[in-house]
Amino acid sequence: MRRGRRAGKEQHGERERCREPCEDASAVHPGQFSSIARPARAAGGERRRQVLFPTVEFAIFFPIVLALSWALMPSQPLWKPFIVVASYVFYAAADPRFCLLLAAITLVSQLAVVGIHRTEDERLRKWITAGGVVFDLGILAVFKYYGFFVTDVSDVLDSVGLGMPLPLATIALPVGVSFFSFQAVTYVVDVKRRQAEPASLLDAAIYLSFFPHLVAGPIVRASEFLPQLKTPRDPHRVAVGAGLTLIALGLVKKVMIADYLARELVDPVFAVPQAYSAPDAVLAAYGYAAQIYCDFSGYTDIAIGLALLMGFVFPQNFNSPYRATGFRDFWRRWHMTLSRFLRDYLYIPLGGNRKGKVRTYINLMLTMTLGGLWHGAAWNFVAWGAYQGTGLSAEHALKGRLGRIFPGWLRWFVTFNLIVFGWILFRSQDLSLVGDYVSALTRSGPATLYSVPVVGAILLVIGLQLLPERPTEGIELRLGRLQPLVLGAALALVVLVVGATVPSQGVPPFIYFRF
Amino acid sequence: MTDTTTRRSRDDSDEFETIAEMEAESRPGPEGQPHGDDSLIGRFDRWHLNRFSAWDAVKAVALTTFLLLIFAGGSVRKAADELKPGLGRDIVKAIGGPAGWVSDNLPFSDTRRDLTSWLSPDQQLSGQSFRAGPGGAGTPAAQVPTTPQPLHRLLVTGDSLSTPLDIELARKLADQGAAVQVTRDPHLATGISNSGLVDWSQLSSTQAANDDPDAAVLFIGANEGYPMPDASGAQVSCCSPQWEAIFRSRVGQMMDNYLRGGVERIYWLTVPTQRDPARKPIADAVNQAVEEAAADRGAAVRVVDLRPTFTPGDTYRDSIDINGKQTIVRESDGIHLNEDGSSVAADLVLAAMNKDFDY
Repeated sequence: MRRGRRAGKEQHGERERCREPCEDASAVHPGQFSSIARPARAAGGERRRQVLFPTVEFAIFFPIVLALSWALMPSQPLWKPFIVVASYVFYAAADPRFCLLLAAITLVSQLAVVGIHRTEDERLRKWITAGGVVFDLGILAVFKYYGFFVTDVSDVLDSVGLGMPLPLATIALPVGVSFFSFQAVTYVVDVKRRQAEPASLLDAAIYLSFFPHLVAGPIVRASEFLPQLKTPRDPHRVAVGAGLTLIALGLVKKVMIADYLARELVDPVFAVPQAYSAPDAVLAAYGYAAQIYCDFSGYTDIAIGLALLMGFVFPQNFNSPYRATGFRDFWRRWHMTLSRFLRDYLYIPLGGNRKGKVRTYINLMLTMTLGGLWHGAAWNFVAWGAYQGTGLSAEHALKGRLGRIFPGWLRWFVTFNLIVFGWILFRSQDLSLVGDYVSALTRSGPATLYSVPVVGAILLVIGLQLLPERPTEGIELRLGRLQPLVLGAALALVVLVVGATVPSQGVPPFIYFRF
Repeated sequence: MTDTTTRRSRDDSDEFETIAEMEAESRPGPEGQPHGDDSLIGRFDRWHLNRFSAWDAVKAVALTTFLLLIFAGGSVRKAADELKPGLGRDIVKAIGGPAGWVSDNLPFSDTRRDLTSWLSPDQQLSGQSFRAGPGGAGTPAAQVPTTPQPLHRLLVTGDSLSTPLDIELARKLADQGAAVQVTRDPHLATGISNSGLVDWSQLSSTQAANDDPDAAVLFIGANEGYPMPDASGAQVSCCSPQWEAIFRSRVGQMMDNYLRGGVERIYWLTVPTQRDPARKPIADAVNQAVEEAAADRGAAVRVVDLRPTFTPGDTYRDSIDINGKQTIVRESDGIHLNEDGSSVAADLVLAAMNKDFDY
């Protein structure tokens, strides 16, 4: 009876909503398990509200701030406090208590910078720098890694008789702490290295809290941002076209592609990989590669676009990462501001490749493993970082031989698939689920999640990155030169279309908000 | 624009000899170099895109905002209704009210809806909305089988409390090799006492009809306490006996919708005590209403009481003893169960389901 009823509904169009696993419901075989997820994974509502660009609140906030910002720009004594207050208001939308944390990091970093600047004693400069960096990273450690240490790491230490009794506590993770704490580190270290001048407290507060990059980067160096605060932004030289184009592009990437792929493909498979077999698991892995790129680069596009409209320029963060032909090439194209941070503030201070081959491999592994851990307090991120470090080390060991032996397309193919495999480590909730996912990759079974829009979205995201750079740049440049009012109307159209694809529960938070 | 012929290229075999060379790699290189200048801070200057004025920026964004207000002003009003009380909500409401009125009185909003509604990922709900005011004692106890029945389909739903419980249940059943299809359908930020985002009466009817589950697991109650209308239409505030009676009626209507739709058993989880003492009266009223509505429906509805496990003595705690080890079971918000907590809750649900189903 039940199966007959289900079949009848499918004939009346229910299959579309239920997707393929629903068909399994009408023919569940012994030992066969299936899972359907219909979640719009918003973190809003009664869970802590996140600061989001694609929200009504932000759509009201930004035009007001933009207009006031340019109105006050000629008078810097008014503009600077205004932009700090606006940024703190933006951040308070996540949790007002964390504004105190942001203020504390700003104050301590500024104290350290002033101390470094006032002394010529190199030892003292080192000590003050170390103090500032330890404070900034200490905040990160307490809020982000305390729980990890008292549970997971403590378990490991217990097993070898080195248990340390630490009180259990649930600590809320402040949004964006990974980003602004790293920026604080660049401020202190750049001044110590004499690559940046000490700023006023107000400028430092703007640098660390400026709302377009506050919660998920890009990680802007002090030496890049502080000079832009020295003089008022030129109101006659604003990249309005580029800014609006980037905002529209970011919205489409985030809401129409990343969230769609998450909802229809990625979240269900990664939540219960035991329920799926190879065709779905393979597709979901590629789907996640497309999703995370669109999610994070979408955020970055919006952040860079907002900043441009306000007269500021942020560094580039992505450069067609999936066209990389090696791990090193990938890290020059993916989250570029993080990889250069790791290179300049960790890998090079560790000695880089100046202390022999063995130390080079150790430094690469250490840098990438810590980089992995930066993404989240879990072993799967550690494993992902180590995996990337292994790839870089292997490449380093083979030096240029790969390029001479293998053609470019083969190097691309291998690199791309190795990167996608790495995303399985990254996305899985824990290492046991990585094992379940790998099992799913080897399990034969039906393809249940394939559809034209899903496969088309993945092919579009990956395929566009493989096109020659000049044509795509040409399109961006042409759009960026259109009249602002035309682009303003086009942006409204994009928002309306994008908004129609948002589920009633709202836009899920950006993936990198968790980091 | 990129010109790879003009840049000094580094292939994979290059090694840095000195720290100065390494640092040079991070400094701006020749114009057009894509990686040497890895900040590309000057790219908009180089591409000659800084060609408009700040006034152009303000005008363009103002035009975008204006168009959005006349085409989708109602969305702003709706967003305000869904926000928590506070200054932010007041501001959105102050803009959303007039914007919604303008939007309602112009044809653009309908045109937009007609053109884009096919893009919506939301499911169409069917069935009746909640009846106003407190209802009766509920339907007579349904006849339920006395022997375990096969379980083919399981629905796990609720508000944000129901996730990651849904994932934990799905994983545990999968690990057992159970031939059960688990439909996970959390509706975050929703509440039985607030139908702004979703009407749970309609949703429960739709879920029962579309998903056809043998059993339903409900974990909801993190977002309650909203005023509800009584039979006369007057708003009744939480958490008076009258509010609880209305809430009980709504819970009962949901239970009846599932049972009438073919669900054999419902497993309804109580809300464990939350950290914020101000939430306790709401949780108490919700739990009381659930227990009473379940009692009216006999063995068809089982209440899985989480309180003795997670908050014995009605006292909030972050951690509990699991297999002899203190383990954090709550999220940092003091409301939700984390993965470990959800795993424990899933075990309690499965223990209850074991009595009723074979799987």
